Amino acid sequence: MTTETKAKRFLGWVDFRFPLTEVFERHLSKYPAPTNLNIWYLFGFLLIVVLAMQIVTGLWLMMNYTNSAEEAFSSVEYIMRDVEYGWLIRYMHAAGASAFFALIYLHMFRGMMYGSYQKPRELIWLGGWFTYLILMAEGFTGYVLPWGQMSFWAAQVIISLFSSIPVVGEDLATWIRGDYLVSGITLSRLFAFHVVLLPILLIAIVFFHILALHEIGSNNPDGIDVKKHLDEDGVPLDTKPFFPYDISHDIFALGVFLIIFCSVVFFFPTGGGYIIEYVNYEPANPLSTPAHIVPSWYYTPFYAMLRAVDFPLFGLTAKFLGFATMMAAVAIFAVLPWLDRSPVKSIKYKGILSKTFLGIFVVSFFALCYLGMVPPTETKALLSKIFTIGYFSYFLLMPIYTRIEKCKPVPERVADV
Amino acid sequence: MRLLALLTFLFFCGLSNTAGEYKCGSIECYEFSADTKNKESLQRGLSAYMNYCYGCHSLKYSRYKRVAEDLAIPLDLYEKNLIFDGSKIGDLMHISLKESKAIELLGAKPPDLTLEARLRSPEWIYTYLDTFYEDSSRPYGVNNKVYVNVSMPHVLEDIQSELSEEEYDRYIADITNFLTYVSDPSAETRKQLGIYVILFLLIFTAFAYLVYREFKKDLK
Repeated sequence: MTTETKAKRFLGWVDFRFPLTEVFERHLSKYPAPTNLNIWYLFGFLLIVVLAMQIVTGLWLMMNYTNSAEEAFSSVEYIMRDVEYGWLIRYMHAAGASAFFALIYLHMFRGMMYGSYQKPRELIWLGGWFTYLILMAEGFTGYVLPWGQMSFWAAQVIISLFSSIPVVGEDLATWIRGDYLVSGITLSRLFAFHVVLLPILLIAIVFFHILALHEIGSNNPDGIDVKKHLDEDGVPLDTKPFFPYDISHDIFALGVFLIIFCSVVFFFPTGGGYIIEYVNYEPANPLSTPAHIVPSWYYTPFYAMLRAVDFPLFGLTAKFLGFATMMAAVAIFAVLPWLDRSPVKSIKYKGILSKTFLGIFVVSFFALCYLGMVPPTETKALLSKIFTIGYFSYFLLMPIYTRIEKCKPVPERVADV
Repeated sequence: MRLLALLTFLFFCGLSNTAGEYKCGSIECYEFSADTKNKESLQRGLSAYMNYCYGCHSLKYSRYKRVAEDLAIPLDLYEKNLIFDGSKIGDLMHISLKESKAIELLGAKPPDLTLEARLRSPEWIYTYLDTFYEDSSRPYGVNNKVYVNVSMPHVLEDIQSELSEEEYDRYIADITNFLTYVSDPSAETRKQLGIYVILFLLIFTAFAYLVYREFKKDLK
């Protein structure tokens, strides 16, 4: 018996007991992807790569990291200096976090641009939204672990936000910290979340996200329903199999991504203070507050919104209202599929109002991102308010502007575009 | 969309010009770019540091042996001349000055300086060492333009009066180079390795592109 037939017989043995070939073909090799996918469709694949990289580098970091207030900071320096290639693992993990957020923002924007959240892809969108939530928690808990000044004070600021909730706030914040101040107890519980609970949730929900996607199939830049025209095997005509067509451009994109990513890791590992903040090179000191406490760049739009609400209303404190606004800004993505009443998916065929509001959203997001990084002034506080309104208007006015605008007809087939 | 992009860009340009703080305390930092490739400068900086700074400022995340190896100093020579308290060559660079004693003597605990160059920047250290001036209102009769009302005496005062201005500038440049090295000892290895990694990725990506182009032809 030749090796080939042996392998086939073994595969047959497995397939009889577990649908290995079927799963492989359905989710990878034969997965039908629309032929008109563009560059915006690469980020999902890259996100999976970054997730895998974070898990592997995280595992190796954990082998040498100590999760106590006394030793956390020095154990990170031990990794940087004494562990073989520890510096590379840590820089990859730190830059990986920023890459993760950059990619997920691009991935989300793709969905918003091409209406990928619309029926029947609501659950795919919700899965993605939940992934983003967990990623934010991962980013926050991971940021605390090096136990530098910024780690400590960021944890202090973020957790104290919960104390603004009326009635239960103070007790809730103490319960989260496990102490009256951020301390070693807080550090070790955030560590447990960061390395066990959140990664398990993250992997589970990403699995769900992909499973749901493969059930419905990918959307495309024109929002054409490719399942309307099938060939005799039931495969949509305007698609191509994942292998080799999609994987070939995904690998090319991976190469380009890695060139950028490795340039950062090897030549600008602190990213000018945006990936690893300079203040974090000083060990946590509860008695000395840094001049400016700034969150990582990927949270700054929400931080700007928190600061934008600086007035009490209906007997609620400004701090609580700011916190609620910030939470609402993240939560509102979840209801996006039900806010959009447009008959078409893609921005290409939507009217001028949708285009304008999406533009307002993008400008507001970037402006808030910047405003959250810099120390507040009166002008900047006013700008933060304006852009917060801009951000929310995209969502809250959507049911109106998507209904009244005039849309262009969507072509039947990709060839008609 | 393009107009919006342009407006966003102008908006950021407008805002970024409004910041007006000095990075070096009461003055602008002097121009300085650290050279961690110059082994001789690093060795001179190490020896100056061990003689004038190490009495109070530990380098407790760094090990003697690592410094010796990276700066190409023979281990036996290093042990004989640059370890003062009988520590082993593989030990972390702790100092013998106790914290309580330091507070008694100076009124504050001298910080560990392993990561100072990353925390503050090399320019900051260089400018700091160059801007001590006489001020009789201070306990040691000196003050500093970068770290205003610093509790530290001007330990390099004798050196500064012995050397010409140019020689002193080189002297503090050596110390700054050394501190920059010790804050990130893998920096040179990292940049060298980085070149090979990027070269490999460029070749990989070029081939990946050719494969992609070949399959793309099928779809037409």
